[in-house]
Amino acid sequence: MKHWYFLLYGCAFFGQNDSINLLDEVKLYGNFSSKINAGYQIKILNDSIINKRRQSLGNLLQNQANLYFKQSGNGMVSSISLRGSGASSTGVYWNGIAINSTLNGQTDFNTLSANGFNQIEIRKGAGSVLFGSGAIGGAINLRDKVYFVPKKNLNINLGLASFNTQNAVIKTRLSTDKIYTKIVIDGAKSNNDYPYLGTDIVNENAKYKNYHLKGVFAYKINTNNQIHFFTTYSNNDRELSRTLVAPSNSKYKNNENRFLLSWKNFGSKHNSTLKLAYLNEEYNFFFNKQSSEFSFGKSHEYITKYDFNYFLVHNLSFHIGIENRFTNGVGTNIQDKERNVLESYFLIHHELTHKFNYNVSVRKGVSNIYKIPFIYAFDTKYVINSNFSIKANFATNYRLPTFNDLFWFASGNEDLQPEDSKTVELGLDYKLKNITFNITSYLTKSKNLIQWRPVTSYFWQPVNIQNVDSYGLEIEFAVTKKIGKHTFDFQTQYAYSISIDKELDKQLIYVPLHKVNAILNYNYKKWSINFNQQYNGEVFTTTSNTQVVDDFWLSNLYLYKTILNSKINIGISVNNLFNSKYETVAYRPMPNRNYSIQLTLKI
Amino acid sequence: MKTIKTIKTMKPMKTISKVFLLIIMSVMLSCSSDSDDDPIPQGDYVNGYFIVNEGNFATGIGTLSFVNNDGTVVPDVYQTVNSEPMGNTLQSMYFYNDNAYLVLNGSHKIIVTNRYTMEKIATIEGTEINNPRFFVAIDNKGYVSNWGDGTDATDDFITVINLETNTVESTIPIGEGPEKMLINDAKLYVNLKGGFNQNNQVVIIDTTNNTEMSSLTVGGVPNSIEIDKNNDIWVLCRGNYAGTDTAGRLVRIKDDAVFVNFDFGMTEHPEHLSINTAKDVFYYNLNGKVFSQSIVTSPSEEISGFDGSYYGMTIKEDKLYTLNAGNFTSEGILKIFDLNTDETQTITTGIIPNFVVFQ
Repeated sequence: MKHWYFLLYGCAFFGQNDSINLLDEVKLYGNFSSKINAGYQIKILNDSIINKRRQSLGNLLQNQANLYFKQSGNGMVSSISLRGSGASSTGVYWNGIAINSTLNGQTDFNTLSANGFNQIEIRKGAGSVLFGSGAIGGAINLRDKVYFVPKKNLNINLGLASFNTQNAVIKTRLSTDKIYTKIVIDGAKSNNDYPYLGTDIVNENAKYKNYHLKGVFAYKINTNNQIHFFTTYSNNDRELSRTLVAPSNSKYKNNENRFLLSWKNFGSKHNSTLKLAYLNEEYNFFFNKQSSEFSFGKSHEYITKYDFNYFLVHNLSFHIGIENRFTNGVGTNIQDKERNVLESYFLIHHELTHKFNYNVSVRKGVSNIYKIPFIYAFDTKYVINSNFSIKANFATNYRLPTFNDLFWFASGNEDLQPEDSKTVELGLDYKLKNITFNITSYLTKSKNLIQWRPVTSYFWQPVNIQNVDSYGLEIEFAVTKKIGKHTFDFQTQYAYSISIDKELDKQLIYVPLHKVNAILNYNYKKWSINFNQQYNGEVFTTTSNTQVVDDFWLSNLYLYKTILNSKINIGISVNNLFNSKYETVAYRPMPNRNYSIQLTLKI
Repeated sequence: MKTIKTIKTMKPMKTISKVFLLIIMSVMLSCSSDSDDDPIPQGDYVNGYFIVNEGNFATGIGTLSFVNNDGTVVPDVYQTVNSEPMGNTLQSMYFYNDNAYLVLNGSHKIIVTNRYTMEKIATIEGTEINNPRFFVAIDNKGYVSNWGDGTDATDDFITVINLETNTVESTIPIGEGPEKMLINDAKLYVNLKGGFNQNNQVVIIDTTNNTEMSSLTVGGVPNSIEIDKNNDIWVLCRGNYAGTDTAGRLVRIKDDAVFVNFDFGMTEHPEHLSINTAKDVFYYNLNGKVFSQSIVTSPSEEISGFDGSYYGMTIKEDKLYTLNAGNFTSEGILKIFDLNTDETQTITTGIIPNFVVFQ
């Protein structure tokens, strides 16, 4: 039966490079499948890129995907702004489960290790209908893929770097045609005491250490049923670094614990996934690290999620999902409260001709706290010829208020309503043998964004008040070239983001107008050189746009060599090659030129 | 400054002999009787007043705006003069003799500058300046209120600074959250506002031997302190906000005894007590309104037309200087109301303006 489908889709996509059939696609990529996201840009980072060396998720995405991060000093809190949206308007998912903090709605990209995941899916643009609350700037899914093929390996990565930084990743995989297991132990620590260029100040009180444990266990019951179990525990212990002008004596500890049990069922005309998950997050903030006094926040979340895909005929399928999230949060400043959100979506995928396909989708939810709006989306892809295709989408979205917004002692506002936004996007893809080029423009109109405003000079409260218009342009170009044993691989990305606060008629703070990234990979026999160039445009630090953090150029160079039949991989990297003086947050200098050496053993 | 201008205009008058000019000069100098003890201040920041701008709390820089008497504004005096950022969270500024003392809360230091040129003279820092708030001085000794570790209720202190050497002389342990201070009759009155917590005391320290004389219970969260023409001290208490919300209170301290002048209604939290130049009428900000009260009558009355919930407020010669921090992430506004006419003047400040300090 499966072969029959393959044949049909093989025919339907004759002439296209993309020959994976829809059923397999949805199976492989779930809600991030390029078929049911036909009108969106999806970028996939694979194992070889993710696990080349040990790095935080934020650094990986900044280097590889031209995403903008605002870091309060190296290794400190790192938040994203995608397409000019706020830090809580990019959804981050772990094997399809939303993991943005229930307390502040954000993900700190320095607390997630990229290592150990074997695929990262980056879907730019609005996606609340498929992904739920907050996926407005985009959605990033961190995946542990399961393969039922006999294989066993042990991977050990050890690294030493400037500022007394050490890291280690141990990864082991054992799989047969019935079972799959993966265990990853990952840790890093650093004194992080780099000098601030042009001053005699050192980045004091900036030590960090973290470790991450991960387990993946899967069992293939039969061709139609699989059980997957994922678990992860991560622990971050960081001092909060000083600034150019003020010392610090604070410390921040946080840990996250996640469990996910999923049952996958595949039929000839359908597939479905039932997921049961438990997520736990907790932070402790020590104003004075020597003191035993701290403030805390924590939450527990119980999730039931069911996705069902049904393939009616070869060119028409529908996709339905239902998700319930029960959350309990409490903290020093957060009232002990419970929230339940039940949401459901429905999507129809239709391939009208082999050149034209589209998706229509809707979502609706209910909650015990607020009214969740009905949202809908339409996206389409039209293949003009073998070189050109057009992608377009229109979507409505929402972001639900967080626990901090709702239940902060005295200030929390339980009358808050979800933020809402409308997005339209148009993109053109060009493909020619070894060249790909893409240009995408978007417009997002966001309303009722939640802002903490002073009610009196000493009392602040969150209110649905800010309206923002964001629009921009993204360009991507990639080329690969092989001359004999020399392989060149070049890609560059540019993002132009305007994000205007309608009330002030000013650009939002910490949204760069321009962001450029370029990567050149050169391989020759066992050698590999990777050069990464980034440009970050200036960002405003005052809402009146009177003060800025200067723009900067940043270059990184990596050199790798494999030896002993690829059993050993040695890598040397020079970060901030030209020793540029730069900040991503005002008065928080980032590291000067620094070095690392990485050794990877594959057994 | 006026005298200097006069001399300059006279210079071209060549018909007047140098001798005659000297005579005129000596007459003019003798006219300004105090001039031998108090020479005419020299510098770019003599005629006007400063606005103390905290700057963004976490990663900002405190700034000083200088408003010339002609209304022109120098937005960042310290950086302009000294070519360096001042530091994080400029909490307050105090003038003593020819010097200005800038209290940088986030940077845990005091910068000493000349108050007229704003050129840096010294930096006072170290473990004995920890979370500093306010500064006052008497007899060449400076007193700094410090919270210490904001989460520790027992490590708060007053730093005593030798102002001749700009070094720390000693520290005086004190109750939680010392804030604004006032000196009267060689006694230091310290509001214990409570820091990150809340307190309800005014502590009196004898500045001749730097020991605590007594501690007076006033009301929850004493936020401002002023002295009137009879040398009575007035303390405005905001009222507690954490736990049980308590009402504000205005107290008078006479001969180091506390008299409750007025208890505000529940949920009423007054701020920014400021006394006029004659020191007989004071003003404060409550529920988005401005109130005034004579030191001899009670209760206070609302003054219409000056509405706003201010981050700072000062009265000076029939003009009410109100500071609005706006959204706290961009420039604030100084709005000056003339109490006699309906005239107002609006000046853009730095980020989070909290005090106006007059030359």
